[in-house]
Amino acid sequence: MNMKSYRLVRFLNNFFVYFILTFFAFIMLFPFFYMLSTSFKIPSDTFRYPPRMLPRDPITMQVDGYDEPLPLYFVDVDGVQKEYALVRSNIKVGTYAPVDNPAAVVDRFISEVKPTGGVMNQQKVVVNGEEVKLFDVEVDGQVVPMILVSQTTVGEFIDPQDPESEPVFQNVRLSEPVENVGWHPENYKEVIELNNLGRALTNTTLVTVLVVMGQLVTSVFGGYAFARLKFPGRDTVFVFYLGTIMIPFVMLIVPLYQLMVLIGWTDRLASLIIPWIFTAYGTFLMRQHFITFPKEIEEAALLDGASRFAILKDIIIPASIPALATQATFTFLYAWNSFIWPLVIINVGNEKNHVLTLALNVLRGRASDTPNLILAGAAIAIVPPLIVFILGQRFFVESVAGSGVKG
Amino acid sequence: MKTQSRIDAQTNLILRIHIIWRGLLALMAALSVWMIWARMAELPVWQKILFSLAAILVMVFSSYGAYQFSKHNHSGRMISLTLDYLGFVVCFVFALNVGEFFIGIDALGENFGKGIPYLGITVLGYFLGMLEEYFPTRNNASENSLKTVSKWVMLSGFLLFLWQVKALNGIVYFFGKFAQPGGMVAVIGLMVFGLSLWSMNRPNVAQALNVKTRHEQVINGWLFLSPNLLGFLIFFAGPLLLSFYFSFTDSDAIRTPNWVGFDNYAKILNIKFITLDVPDQLARDVVDIKVYDEVGRFTFGDRGILFAAEDKFFWLALRNTLTFVLFAVPLSVLPALVLSNVLNSKLPGMKFYRAVYFMPSIAAVVGISLVWQWLYNATIGYINYFITLGIEFWNNLFNVAIIDPKIQWVSDEKTALFAIIIIAAWQTMGFNTVLFLAGLQNIPGELYEAATVDGAGAWDKFWGITLPMLAPTTFYVVSTTTIQAMQVFEQVFILMNPPEGPNNSTITLVLYLYRSGFQNFKQGYASAIAWVLFIVIFGLTLIQFQRQRRSSIYES
Amino acid sequence: MKKNLLLKIMGLVIIASFVLTACGSPAATEAPEATEAPAMTEAPAATEAPATEASSADVALRWRTRPDNQEEIDVYSKISTELDAQLDGITLTYEPGGSEGSNYQDQLRAEVAAGTAPDVFWIPGTDVADFATRGLILNAADLAAATDGYTATDFYEGPMYHLTYNPETGASGDGSGAVWGLPRDVSTFALYINLDLIAEAGAADPRELAANGEWDWEAFLEVSQATRALGSDIYGYGASAWWGPYGVWLNASGGGFFTEDRTACNLNSAESLAGLDFQRSLYQDYDVAVPYGEDPEPGFRAGKVAMFQNGRWATPGVRTVDFNWDVVELPAGPNGTAGNWLFWGAYVINANTEHPEEAWALVQALTTAETQGKVAALGANIPSRVSQEALDAFLTFTPPANNQAFLNGIDPSAAPTAEGPLWAGSWPQFDQIMGPAIQGVLTGSTTVDDFGATICDEANKAFNQ
Repeated sequence: MNMKSYRLVRFLNNFFVYFILTFFAFIMLFPFFYMLSTSFKIPSDTFRYPPRMLPRDPITMQVDGYDEPLPLYFVDVDGVQKEYALVRSNIKVGTYAPVDNPAAVVDRFISEVKPTGGVMNQQKVVVNGEEVKLFDVEVDGQVVPMILVSQTTVGEFIDPQDPESEPVFQNVRLSEPVENVGWHPENYKEVIELNNLGRALTNTTLVTVLVVMGQLVTSVFGGYAFARLKFPGRDTVFVFYLGTIMIPFVMLIVPLYQLMVLIGWTDRLASLIIPWIFTAYGTFLMRQHFITFPKEIEEAALLDGASRFAILKDIIIPASIPALATQATFTFLYAWNSFIWPLVIINVGNEKNHVLTLALNVLRGRASDTPNLILAGAAIAIVPPLIVFILGQRFFVESVAGSGVKG
Repeated sequence: MKTQSRIDAQTNLILRIHIIWRGLLALMAALSVWMIWARMAELPVWQKILFSLAAILVMVFSSYGAYQFSKHNHSGRMISLTLDYLGFVVCFVFALNVGEFFIGIDALGENFGKGIPYLGITVLGYFLGMLEEYFPTRNNASENSLKTVSKWVMLSGFLLFLWQVKALNGIVYFFGKFAQPGGMVAVIGLMVFGLSLWSMNRPNVAQALNVKTRHEQVINGWLFLSPNLLGFLIFFAGPLLLSFYFSFTDSDAIRTPNWVGFDNYAKILNIKFITLDVPDQLARDVVDIKVYDEVGRFTFGDRGILFAAEDKFFWLALRNTLTFVLFAVPLSVLPALVLSNVLNSKLPGMKFYRAVYFMPSIAAVVGISLVWQWLYNATIGYINYFITLGIEFWNNLFNVAIIDPKIQWVSDEKTALFAIIIIAAWQTMGFNTVLFLAGLQNIPGELYEAATVDGAGAWDKFWGITLPMLAPTTFYVVSTTTIQAMQVFEQVFILMNPPEGPNNSTITLVLYLYRSGFQNFKQGYASAIAWVLFIVIFGLTLIQFQRQRRSSIYES
Repeated sequence: MKKNLLLKIMGLVIIASFVLTACGSPAATEAPEATEAPAMTEAPAATEAPATEASSADVALRWRTRPDNQEEIDVYSKISTELDAQLDGITLTYEPGGSEGSNYQDQLRAEVAAGTAPDVFWIPGTDVADFATRGLILNAADLAAATDGYTATDFYEGPMYHLTYNPETGASGDGSGAVWGLPRDVSTFALYINLDLIAEAGAADPRELAANGEWDWEAFLEVSQATRALGSDIYGYGASAWWGPYGVWLNASGGGFFTEDRTACNLNSAESLAGLDFQRSLYQDYDVAVPYGEDPEPGFRAGKVAMFQNGRWATPGVRTVDFNWDVVELPAGPNGTAGNWLFWGAYVINANTEHPEEAWALVQALTTAETQGKVAALGANIPSRVSQEALDAFLTFTPPANNQAFLNGIDPSAAPTAEGPLWAGSWPQFDQIMGPAIQGVLTGSTTVDDFGATICDEANKAFNQ
């Protein structure tokens, strides 16, 4: 009995845990799902309310007697929902009522209603102190003068299987179109070819690859010097490095900009690469790693006459692949996602040197009426790092956790 | 003196040439100082000072090195190596510049895309080589064959890649540039400095200058550090100093900056608090509105205090940024703390959830902001749709009539900043969860076991063990999140139109810095804002650090 | 073994990156912007068109405009290609700048400072004074004086007043000693109307009302309310969040941003506040407008906004919609006029250009009646040259059928206010103070009275610093 209730409590407990976790997972993933699904939609589908997750296409159908394929809508015929084709829209309909009985309204096509007394001298009555025009409206075979209460427009829908049957008239905007799920991967093609995302992707890849490689090289050498070599001034420099780790990048944005102006690198990809190769933080991380490396192995190699470079190359680096990979991933994300520096230094007009974040910023303005294209662009910027992450998920997360505790 | 006898004639010659070389370099440096001041009038003053300082240093050290050389002291060799190395690096960079290496990167973008698939082949080849590890073979032959295949695949992939990106043209173009005078100078410089370095490193020469084993570490240490250190000085420390200098000038990136002393800081910090007779008294009645703008007012009953500042936007930005930090940090740290504790259970599937939570922190902020922009859309966005659904459900369930607020997330002054806060919390929560999780896993299990024996409940354990033991992680998480939050810019810039938001409700410090520095071109002023921002960040971190220290003292 | 391999790869890739980066350069020489390759001097800033190359080849000029959509980019690219063939000794490269949302002018200022800006570029009229007084653009007065057939009166007076304004003497017009550029085109606001929505709502057709002279604020409000009633996602009116749309309401009630002589703030005059209050009521009291701050263009193009206030520049984008649409002039305010703007932007010459003569030739070529006709035909703005011929041609560039609405807007009888810079102050600063404050009113967080009580105290700081 006791055991049973314990099990129940544990089950409830676990259920609660999974409920919380799944709830948060939904929140975390939903924007990504939204981005991906919207990027496959057609523009009109993105503006639909209530919003829907899967992309859909309206269906059209070839109907006898019409040249163009006609769009299909759900139409209510005698209480049954049917798929009808829209033949004509913007047919004006008026709601008419007799002057003495405003409740007895009838709907008529405006084209079928004649002004009372002819177009030239239409008769008028005074209702509530205002002059209102009178119309001849046919009710049950009798012509009754009525006033126009309100008017709207409808569309004419016909049965596509039987075009000769009685048409149905109803509001087009509020009619639900017949749709099927349809994906539009050509959005990606359009955004890559027409909106410069292709070139931006190349540039981003180039910049990221060069920054990651360059930063690894300088931090490995620097970290090794700090960790293993004794020379006067080392500790002073190291303290200096440590002190600058906390300084935010925006501190540098103005002077670095002027420096780039000075050496003529504004508007050049070099300005996105070279300054980012040298970081205090990366060097610090490498030093923290190398310092844990057993000294004995190194000393033995030194006695064998190996040079410092050879030791670094043959012994230390191969044993430090996880630490290098950690730093490489951090740098990768930083370089791939950076925005404010490219915004400042790369010319908006020089689309050849745009990186993804910049191209997205331009796309946002140019394609504000096509969210599908904007979000396809966002997906191009977001998905590659996600793929890298999913492939090396376990390793990645653990290395971040490790760096955090160390830092 | 005893070593002197062992010097052979060749070494002696090298040493003499070196002394001359050092003297020559000193002379050239002196000449360039004269050139800078006499011939280059168009250079800004700070650059003149910088360049001549460098030249004077070269002059002094070079002559001092020559003097030490003549006495056969090892410090002469050190100085010589350093100067020649620096000279070599300068010539090397100059040569790259002459060959249009740096700006050539742009053109690489043109062809790089075509080459990427071939680079992929190279990587594939590398993984092929790695396979050997997973299929341990007994006979050496097959191992070698796998290696060979891998090597050839890599090589061919790489060559194809080079061919695709038109490497040959590049090389020809690169070396073609050296036929011109600039290129000649670079090449000669490279050769002279290189030769000097090479000769200085000959064992005989080193011996003659009384080299000791400890010198090896000194030379290697600085050599290994040098790429990083030089780049760091040029692209980080230098600009940092420059930023400090700019903050005292009216630099506008176009004209030569003028020194204005503390004016920029004075303008930023010029504020006034005035007690009002009636809460809605106009600002112009109580302050000089030619100087001050009203930033805000606080009302207490029938009294009020007016807060006026010379630079209203800075204080609005500071207010918004601090509000952002105040909400975004707890919202991304507290749920992370809870989630990490839940994830720390030994139930199956936790790694999946951990990975899912981590995903937002990887995505580009610019892209994420674009996605949220549409989620926030007041008429067709999902967020308002979910709110509508929730309210309908609630109304039906309890038969009440709550009105759908139809929040205008980004165009309403009251919600705009909050919309940004939600994105930031969403994006950093998972990262913090992983950090907390790592901290939790480092807490020794015995502590909990002992507490269980003592009869402590889950809640007691959380307060008594988990939280105190997590303190260092918490400090790290809170301080990094705060530093990051203080720099909020991208979300605001992308999501808001205009970025300042409705009634300046989303102008942040970095946005204001960007606007001052790159829209209004008050770069001196922007630098001053940057330093104030830094001081605020530094202060916040210091406070957290103090608190963390105090609490850890309590624990121990 | 494995370690070696890894290192070899790293080595290879590093060497590769060295080689590769240099290798792109010849590719650049083949590309049209050949002269972008840097000069062989130590001076790093001299990256454009080295003199040695210029003498042997065509002079390469870069020019830029701010297109709002892909359609406009196509228009200007085509113009560039045509002029390239037409102008001897000049090679043209057209580069589209960012759109309004991506801070076109700010980026341009940064680039002029950095020396990477194009030789000729378009800037909005409001920024001319700022660019001119900062020395970022060239005063082409001497070049203009030496040009046969150039006279300022060929263009609309409003733009040319500012484009020939000499800040030192205060003179303007031919012989003032200043020519900052030539207007690319002019534009004015109209309402883009969704005819389907208006018909469905049973509201009166604004075009007919306008023809009968009944198109005033009251009629406008009626149409807005009728269409808004069609559904919670349908709006009657929409305008973007910048000074143009809200300025109209101030102008139409007899107020405006500045005093007559443009030397002080006029936002707190009773007329200005009345106009602002009517606009506020559209957003707050009647709730007929797309919430201020949300971009109404996507909504309009999705068929959810009945009347969308924008300039001629929106036409190429609107042409792609699949409902019936047209344009109509803005409704007349209590002052009797619609208070419309005469928008303009000008081609100006980079102050640091190496080829001022060629750049001036390009500016002229870009503003000939012929070129302007092409631009107008392809859908963008109204020609900036005063000529009945050009206006008649403009009417034929349909859709929209009712092109006359635009011309009515710039007709002198409609008394449009010319967009203009502040020579006596800083327009960007004025705008930065005014914009958020008005946004506060339109979103309901500030009352019109509070706005009126303080706005000019703050905004007057933009003058005479």
